Amino acid sequence: MMIDTLLDGKETISDCWRSIAERAPNKEAVVHYVAGEEPYRWTWGEILRVSSLYARALKDHGIRKGDICAIIIRHHKDFYPIYMGISALGALPAVLAYPNSRLHPDKFRQGLEGMVKRSGLDYVLTEKDLGPVVDPMVSGTGSTIRAVLYPLEWSLGGEAGESLPSTIGVGGDAPCLLQHSSGTTGLQKAVVLTHRAVLEHMRRYGRAIAIREDDKVVSWLPLYHDMGLIAAFYLPLTLGIPLVQLDPFEWVSAPVILLEAISSEKGTLSWLPNFAFNLLADRCREEDLDGIRLDSLRMVVNCSEPVRAESHEKFLRRYAPFGFRKEALAACYAMAETTFAATQTTPGRNAKQIFVAREDLSAGVVRLARPGEPGRACISSGAPISGCELRILDDDGNALPENRVGEIAIRSVSLFDGYRNNPEKTEEVLKDGWYFSGDYGLLHAGEYYIIGRKKDLIILAGKNIYPEDIEDVVGKVEGVLPGRVVAFGVEDDITGTEQICVVAESQADGEAEKKKLRMEIVQAGMGMDVTISNVYLAPPRWLIKSSAGKPARKANMERSITELKAQ
Amino acid sequence: MVSERLKRIILQALQLEDFDMQDETTASMVPGWDSLSHVRVIIAIEESYGIRFKTLEVIRLKNVGELQRMIAAKSG
Repeated sequence: MMIDTLLDGKETISDCWRSIAERAPNKEAVVHYVAGEEPYRWTWGEILRVSSLYARALKDHGIRKGDICAIIIRHHKDFYPIYMGISALGALPAVLAYPNSRLHPDKFRQGLEGMVKRSGLDYVLTEKDLGPVVDPMVSGTGSTIRAVLYPLEWSLGGEAGESLPSTIGVGGDAPCLLQHSSGTTGLQKAVVLTHRAVLEHMRRYGRAIAIREDDKVVSWLPLYHDMGLIAAFYLPLTLGIPLVQLDPFEWVSAPVILLEAISSEKGTLSWLPNFAFNLLADRCREEDLDGIRLDSLRMVVNCSEPVRAESHEKFLRRYAPFGFRKEALAACYAMAETTFAATQTTPGRNAKQIFVAREDLSAGVVRLARPGEPGRACISSGAPISGCELRILDDDGNALPENRVGEIAIRSVSLFDGYRNNPEKTEEVLKDGWYFSGDYGLLHAGEYYIIGRKKDLIILAGKNIYPEDIEDVVGKVEGVLPGRVVAFGVEDDITGTEQICVVAESQADGEAEKKKLRMEIVQAGMGMDVTISNVYLAPPRWLIKSSAGKPARKANMERSITELKAQ
Repeated sequence: MVSERLKRIILQALQLEDFDMQDETTASMVPGWDSLSHVRVIIAIEESYGIRFKTLEVIRLKNVGELQRMIAAKSG
């Protein structure tokens, strides 16, 4: 039996949850994993019981159908029933990142204000610690926030037998959740998805990875990101397979805990951004791997950063002795705008690799390299999943044939219908039912390969960062000429992700003054939780301007790289 | 007190020339010391002192002072 028949006849996400809990109240829903502790195991019966208590309490606090509820809560076992309680009321949960200690409170507040403006947040559900920062926002000018709530402080009481409210009056077309793209200041874009879009995607994506009743997802991914939220949270929970959820903060300090969790829980599926393959391969010590077995894994899906061949190779080399199988190396191409996946590699077969002649590739043509010829290894992100269609387009928007590089446009049954309250941005990317991804890719033998980006977005460790945000902050550093800054990402083979470089014009003179300014620029980046790896100080009028009079990112990136190489 | 030796190891792992470090200094205050470079710093310390931190110790570390005390306890 395909387990997606569970979705038949369900209109909303909470319909799914209720039906799973009725069929299998004692089955595990979420294993909440904390390093060094016994994991907390939510069964379906119990998680729904507690969700219903939260739903009632949230309702008592005024939350109603259609309200947008931001959740800013760290790894906590009650996160899940809180999320489910909001959803059961027909309100829209929107998970936001809990600020880490690097992020300056002002930057966090500005980011949140941007989201309030764009998304019209109605409620913020958070922890007491954030009170001093978030509370004043309720009365702020133009604020839509009606209340800040601290659900972890509530004593729920509650009678046994209380059931999850039925989302009466909420149909499949009703909005189900809200996700934000990254961007730290005013550049966030909010995507709203309907229940139908999410459920439809679960059915189709579930089939693309041949999901089975005995699957188990293990994830360290943050839930404010589409890969974490849709692939690793909604997918298991709507199809009734267990989710083992780790703390992203703990994972990044000790990557080995993901392997421990996979090994002890016998996980079968995991989604990872490319850098995580490198981190796991390079940063886990032999003695910590004692007793680890990865035989249970059937797919580790690389997604949300460009997939790098070396990352797959080094991961396989490192973990084959621990039972990791080559055919489990999978990849997909996904984004919040298409709910999640557009393409997926075939289950049971490792992601294909082609070696393409560099010379032709730079001219946009794909030709397999001859032996000895310089080439670039490209990893496939797979074929389109059902309900999804891709095109490769030239600069004028004409469709290109196979083996030509162009911008990827996507049409999908799970396509979003625009960024919330942002018609300008929507118009830029959504044309005649096609989403223009801003990514460069190619079609080869029926599969898509993503090889670059048209837009200047930086992807650092799976996190999308707009260079404009960095330029804005660096431009305000005293000693930097206002508006004369460019930021860009440069590929880093060692970490398998990008490094952030900044070129800033300045009149700084002498090594001591320059050193001080460079440090101040790096610290300005820290204030927005961005690590700037390289700062180049350039003399006035060094930066190349675009026709619009602004520094042109790509041209300046090329110039600075060439000049630095020559030094 | 943060020893000169520990400070040098951290700075080198982060490719930093200099940065003032006190007991209360946390990773988030030091340029370049982010979640991605944290493991690099820890490994550099382990190699230099010939000691090993447990996974949980690494996760729960609060500041440089605590790190220094843990090194002393392990080397002693």
